[in-house]
Amino acid sequence: MIAQLALLAAVSLPDVSAVVGPPSSTPISGKALEEHTEQLSDTIRCPVCQGSSVGDSPSEMARNMKQQVKELLALGFDDEQIIVYFEASYGEFIRLEPSKKGLNALVWLAPLVALVLGVILVLRRLSGAPKVDHSQQPSQGALPDDPDLARWVLKVRQEVFGWPDGEPPEEAS
Amino acid sequence: MNRTVLIIGLVLTAPLVWILASGFGKNPHAIDSPLVGRAAPTFALRQLNGGETVGLTQGGQPTVVNFWATWCRPCVQEHGVLTAAAARYRGKVKFMGIVYEDTEERIRAYLKRSGAAYPTLIDEAGKTAIAYGVYGVPETFFIDAKGQILYKHAGPLNPQSIEGYLRKLTQGSP
Repeated sequence: MIAQLALLAAVSLPDVSAVVGPPSSTPISGKALEEHTEQLSDTIRCPVCQGSSVGDSPSEMARNMKQQVKELLALGFDDEQIIVYFEASYGEFIRLEPSKKGLNALVWLAPLVALVLGVILVLRRLSGAPKVDHSQQPSQGALPDDPDLARWVLKVRQEVFGWPDGEPPEEAS
Repeated sequence: MNRTVLIIGLVLTAPLVWILASGFGKNPHAIDSPLVGRAAPTFALRQLNGGETVGLTQGGQPTVVNFWATWCRPCVQEHGVLTAAAARYRGKVKFMGIVYEDTEERIRAYLKRSGAAYPTLIDEAGKTAIAYGVYGVPETFFIDAKGQILYKHAGPLNPQSIEGYLRKLTQGSP
């Protein structure tokens, strides 16, 4: 009889404490319970849906999980205990926002590392770029040594820039 | 400079290539369970036929826990396989069927037609399914005499696959 009563008690709620220990917060009720249930349900992934939370999904599994979130909050389990309880069954997949530990940290760190490396690369390239020595540049009026080519260059200058005989005008000093 | 760029590129892309390559090597239908190798969640549930509450406690006999529903075609397909295995391993392995998101009327009618060789349990509000991390049905858990989950099988079982699991489950059992 005692064994049966113990079994019946377990029917009402699986042994959550065996997984996450006794409730470590204070039980809540009423409007606070409703609001907190909604808030926490939005961070738990619905296992039978495509990327939606337990709070958003209309599936029966999601509704059951949301109801269990509510019951656990009412018993005084805190947010982390509830998430860890679901995580024990489904793995980290259940967290809509994965923890920033282990390999997951790469997701947060890799873009930062890439950005820093990119900035370093650009700075190094800029500092290593050859300086342009304007004094070594040919003057506007310089012509190729080949007389035939020089003739054509003058002609092009005359056509394009309107310089008389292709010679650049004297700069006003 | 080109050597540096090459090394940085490799450092950034190698983890991504490793993640993709390891993903290709996996069976896309297999669903890993963090519960495998750990103690099975204990439960005690009401029987469909109104008999006494049936539960899984730590230790005892090797146990097969099957989550199923009548609306699930693969569940219906494997029903005969489970029934035959339960008869073959009677006294050595306990079998339990846990109803997943279905009505008692439909389950009762189905079992009346197809026969029941082991207890069918009602999981109120799906709490046991959640504790076992069930994604869909059928899913079957093979639990050893110490109460540890040895295997999880997602999808329908066939005579060969269940025999393989049951042989391993009963190895070393009295």
